[in-house]
Amino acid sequence: MARPDPPGWEDADSGRKRYKPVTLMMLTLMTMDLIDVREIRVPNARDGLVFAPGERPLGGGTWLFSEPQPGLTGLVDLTALGWDPIRRTEAGLEIAATCTIAELAALTPRESRDPRPGQAADALFWQCAGSLLASFKIWNVATVGGNVALALPAGPMTSLAASLDAVAVIWTADGGERRTPVAELVTGVRSTGLTHGEVLRSLEIPESSLAARTGFRRIALSPLGRAGTVVIGRVDSSGETVITVTGGTTRPHQLRFDEIPGERALADAVDGIDDWYSDAHGTPDWRRAMSLLFAEQLRGELEAT
Amino acid sequence: MQISMTVNGDEITREAEPRVLLVHFIREILGLTGTHWGCDTSNCGTCVVLMDGLPVKSCTVLAAMADGHDIRTVEGLATGGVLDPVQQGFMEEHGLQCGFCTPGMMLTARALLDRNPHPDDDQIREAISGQICRCTGYATIVRSVQWAAEHPAGAAATGEEVNA
Repeated sequence: MARPDPPGWEDADSGRKRYKPVTLMMLTLMTMDLIDVREIRVPNARDGLVFAPGERPLGGGTWLFSEPQPGLTGLVDLTALGWDPIRRTEAGLEIAATCTIAELAALTPRESRDPRPGQAADALFWQCAGSLLASFKIWNVATVGGNVALALPAGPMTSLAASLDAVAVIWTADGGERRTPVAELVTGVRSTGLTHGEVLRSLEIPESSLAARTGFRRIALSPLGRAGTVVIGRVDSSGETVITVTGGTTRPHQLRFDEIPGERALADAVDGIDDWYSDAHGTPDWRRAMSLLFAEQLRGELEAT
Repeated sequence: MQISMTVNGDEITREAEPRVLLVHFIREILGLTGTHWGCDTSNCGTCVVLMDGLPVKSCTVLAAMADGHDIRTVEGLATGGVLDPVQQGFMEEHGLQCGFCTPGMMLTARALLDRNPHPDDDQIREAISGQICRCTGYATIVRSVQWAAEHPAGAAATGEEVNA
């Protein structure tokens, strides 16, 4: 797309084009990180989801300006595709990638927002949304799919989806569809199993997970800091127990047991995690120690309820 | 690219670069400078506008993503020359000092009162969370919103007109 002429006007006397003074805003636009983005397309049907080199899907876009986006020349806005944000099906819950964090958080009844032992899984929607450190004005725009596809270590939607055994529905570039567990879709820091041209369409949460008892733990170095670790425990009606560790690791880890494990077995499983993340928000040793503590707390909590 | 939206009840269409943020579109292209531009990192909340009735931080929304949506800025609060009760409340209870956060605070308050006409102090404080008053005048902001809740007819009841 051709860059439009800067704002200006024809001078009536001289006939020459004149321009208004450069404002602070214009200076900022000239120096900010999205100067290579030349086009935003807004398709309203799947056949518009054909991605040119340099084009990427756009969810809420709230993260876009936070850091440089090298190689990004175009965005394809998914929000006009008209996907129902949340659908209840016989199999469980289908959450569109374009579902906003606010819409997801609203799934948790107000009375279930405060943590309590052995809470139902619906409390996790609020708890994980709250782990996205932003006011609800950001929740009104940021999307569930965007947070998962970003694959940040502390991506709370990844924590939520992985802990509930959510399956990602992916539209492939050839017009097909494939499914993969979210716990396997996020493969590392800013790394997913999505290939160019693929679009995360939705997350499917099975009914068995929604009916489970859960527990939630999170810690950060400061009250409003990025998560050092997020540990979520889940016990299905069958007794199967899943402890999911995210936030402190480069990718989600699901520790599975046929029943609520003993202390030693759980500790050994946490010790088996070998990709503790290191940055300003926490050292690997601290993240491992806190995850171990939280996993044991959740084990006791879920055993008692 | 061409961007169309409804702003304060008026349907507008303008040319803008795809990467332009909504806050810049509103201020620089539409000339509605009541929406303030603060941190540019979605922390301060002075750029809050209502998109389809919901408060959003316009420094975190691309103008292109507001295409086809309904936007309300602080200029759209007063109607028919009469202050919105929220604006009147900020006058009555001294809800502003420097005024930099005020447009965003008032729009958030309007969105809150539209959904919850009788909020308590905690609900008001939750509503304005993520919006920073650099004068730290939160107590008077909360009182201003409470005034608006208690006077839903606002300025209309007093017959006071906007000096604009």
